Amino acid sequence: MRNFLTYGLRLAVLAAALGLWQGLSAAGVIRADEFPSMSQTATALWDLLTQSAFWSAVGETLEGWALGLVIGVAVALLIGTLIGLNGFAYRSAIGVIEFFKAIPVIAILPIGLVLWGATLTTKYALVAFAVFWPLVIQVCYGVRSLDPVVRDTTTVLQVKGLRKFFTVILPSAAPFIATGLRVAVAVALVVDIVCELFGAGSGIGERILLAENAGPTQYPQMYAYIVAAGLLGIFLAGAFTVAERYVLHWHESQRAAKDESQIRGYPERRRLTSVAQLSPGGTTPRTPRCRPARA
Amino acid sequence: MTTPGKRPGTAESVTATPVVSLQHVRKVYGGAAGEKVALADITFEVARGEFACVVGPSGAGKTTLLRTLAGLAQPTSGEALFEGTPLRSVPPGIGVVFQDYGRSLYPWLSVARNVELPLRVRGVPKAERTARVTEVLTSVGLADAGRSYPWQLSGGMQQRVAIARSLAYRPDLLLMDEPFASVDAQTRFELEDLILRVRQEFGVTVVFVTHDIDEAVYLADRVIAISKSPGVVTEIVDITLPRPRDQITTKADPAFARYREHLLGLVMHR
Amino acid sequence: MAGNLATRVWLFVVLFLVWWFWSAGSKSLYFPPLSQILKSVWDQWVTGTARAQLGTSLEHLLVGYVIAALVGIGVGALLWSLRYLRDATSPYLYFLYVLPAPVLVPAAMTLFGIGFTMKVVLIAFAAVWPTLLNTLDGMSGVDQVKLDTARVLGVSPAGRVLRVVLPAAAPQIVAGLRNSLQVAIILMVVSEWQASSDGIGFYISNAQQSFDYVGMWSAFIVLAIIGIIANLLFVAAENRALHWHYGARAVEGRIR
Repeated sequence: MRNFLTYGLRLAVLAAALGLWQGLSAAGVIRADEFPSMSQTATALWDLLTQSAFWSAVGETLEGWALGLVIGVAVALLIGTLIGLNGFAYRSAIGVIEFFKAIPVIAILPIGLVLWGATLTTKYALVAFAVFWPLVIQVCYGVRSLDPVVRDTTTVLQVKGLRKFFTVILPSAAPFIATGLRVAVAVALVVDIVCELFGAGSGIGERILLAENAGPTQYPQMYAYIVAAGLLGIFLAGAFTVAERYVLHWHESQRAAKDESQIRGYPERRRLTSVAQLSPGGTTPRTPRCRPARA
Repeated sequence: MTTPGKRPGTAESVTATPVVSLQHVRKVYGGAAGEKVALADITFEVARGEFACVVGPSGAGKTTLLRTLAGLAQPTSGEALFEGTPLRSVPPGIGVVFQDYGRSLYPWLSVARNVELPLRVRGVPKAERTARVTEVLTSVGLADAGRSYPWQLSGGMQQRVAIARSLAYRPDLLLMDEPFASVDAQTRFELEDLILRVRQEFGVTVVFVTHDIDEAVYLADRVIAISKSPGVVTEIVDITLPRPRDQITTKADPAFARYREHLLGLVMHR
Repeated sequence: MAGNLATRVWLFVVLFLVWWFWSAGSKSLYFPPLSQILKSVWDQWVTGTARAQLGTSLEHLLVGYVIAALVGIGVGALLWSLRYLRDATSPYLYFLYVLPAPVLVPAAMTLFGIGFTMKVVLIAFAAVWPTLLNTLDGMSGVDQVKLDTARVLGVSPAGRVLRVVLPAAAPQIVAGLRNSLQVAIILMVVSEWQASSDGIGFYISNAQQSFDYVGMWSAFIVLAIIGIIANLLFVAAENRALHWHYGARAVEGRIR
């Protein structure tokens, strides 16, 4: 019952917001040469969805996103694991990693432009770079966070070497890695689109730029692309959550989410940690939780 | 040995208002998965100064019962009275000690500030607050722990802080929800003796929920046995073991074993 | 322990020296010697004309961020207290949170021109969401036991918000504020990139167009320093204000 009410309210809010927009445009409060009306934007969005030009833009954005993500994730997993497993390496490297992580992603844009100009390479190189630092920290934490009881059990069961890595350490680290990946997915999209906005590569960001340059007649298209960018972000985040739920179905954070039952005792407290809380300067690891994030 | 109904634990007039009175209390939780009857029909009373223990198997709705007694939850039907008036919200004269001290004590406040909080809220002036905090912390054996933070203390000590906090404002009724379940056995014995001592000192009525039969028999004037869901009162057992109780001699008393056997039988067969 | 310090520091030193010596003899336009870059940082940003640009940018950042922080916490708390409104608007808030804010730069330019207002509005708009959502989330996630305890102790509803919900939510709110700062820094630069006449973003854009690679590298260093200082300030503030949280978690970690 509560669900119907909630959905109803949500629709009502959306309808009210859109109606207000249209009303303000029609009344001239929003000037037509500055900001398109709701109906224009909606029409533009609808039209876009049927044009192949739109979908190829989406494809181009996703191309840079995917390439950069794959590279960044692969390198982070590799290096993070190697560093995490060795105490000396970890203590040596963690300061440097935190240092680089603190550098704003935007600072690297000029470097990328210097090295590769305004090309696809810049896009995915920058995405990979931006994704690497927070993720490698999470991988380190994950690998190092092995529960002492699990570790001792593994030793007693005589599980060693590579098998130990794949059957114990990696799954144990998986929740941390998942948290890092969720951030990575979002960060990758932001960096990707920022690059496009600066002419490095084509895609949604590029189209927004072109529409803006073309003047007020193209503003509906511009805003339509903006909405599309947001929807793309939601889609990717949602897809990730579904994948995470599937892969990590065994982990408590996923189990607890399912059985918040009606029994009003006190549900077992989950480690509720915002994803955005990735290593706030300290070295206390953060356990994962279901919350979307952006760098 | 068994009598449902009013029996004062001390020499009080039978007509005095019981501190707690539950009449046919029923608590049902609805939800998408269907109804769950946590408590079906709970009826008992607790007289002033009495130490009553509530025992039952796991899942018997003991926590629900405690929350109802505190006014944190309202019964679906039936009456829950505190000092003769129905509980609509949490009255100021009640103290609660939860099982999970880690979640109940506020980690951003020191021990002294945690204990002081209810006094601040009640507008007690500063000098008196400090005096009371010191007094109550000394009663629980933590006179020097005021400046520490709860998480710096051991489990047993944290629970003492929780007890001190709930006694700071001199409640008429102290409700305890399996308070010693999360500490080790040795510490549990110490805390049991502590609560008996503190009950004497402050003259407070106690309703103590536990799954530990030994503990219930050791502490109580009366033990109220609750059945598994849907919860009803199976039996109320008067404990006439001599006071003051002692961990060694009381538990060596043959009467202790008889009570224990009887209650264990009740709890395990339902 | 000196040994511990050495372990943590040696890599920094090595990397710096490697960069320095490897680029020392460089004739490449793209990789000027580190010594030259650092000199440029000093000449332009510390003692030179770019310092004013930096000042302007930081001004925009500060104003935008403070607005975002106040609005984020305020509105977050408000929405938390109005359950129906919260439920009704949460998908849209989430949408705005996930929307990559730099895409709004062109739109902001059409609406607000290219001056102070545009930049501050953009920074504030982009930076508000992490704080808002984390505030909302943190406040909603407060342990029921703590709230019940507060009720039993006699704390009034307003008191509960001030004394229990906000402190309990503080770690998450601070995490949100941190995230917001990172977003704000990004937008600070991005908003100045096109058609602006001052600021770091303009400096970079200009350097790019005039092939001033040393300049671009120096901007990178300056932005890196800004980010690192901001991070350090945050860590220091967190350790003070949230010392109880880190203490409690450390204990928890050990017991586990």
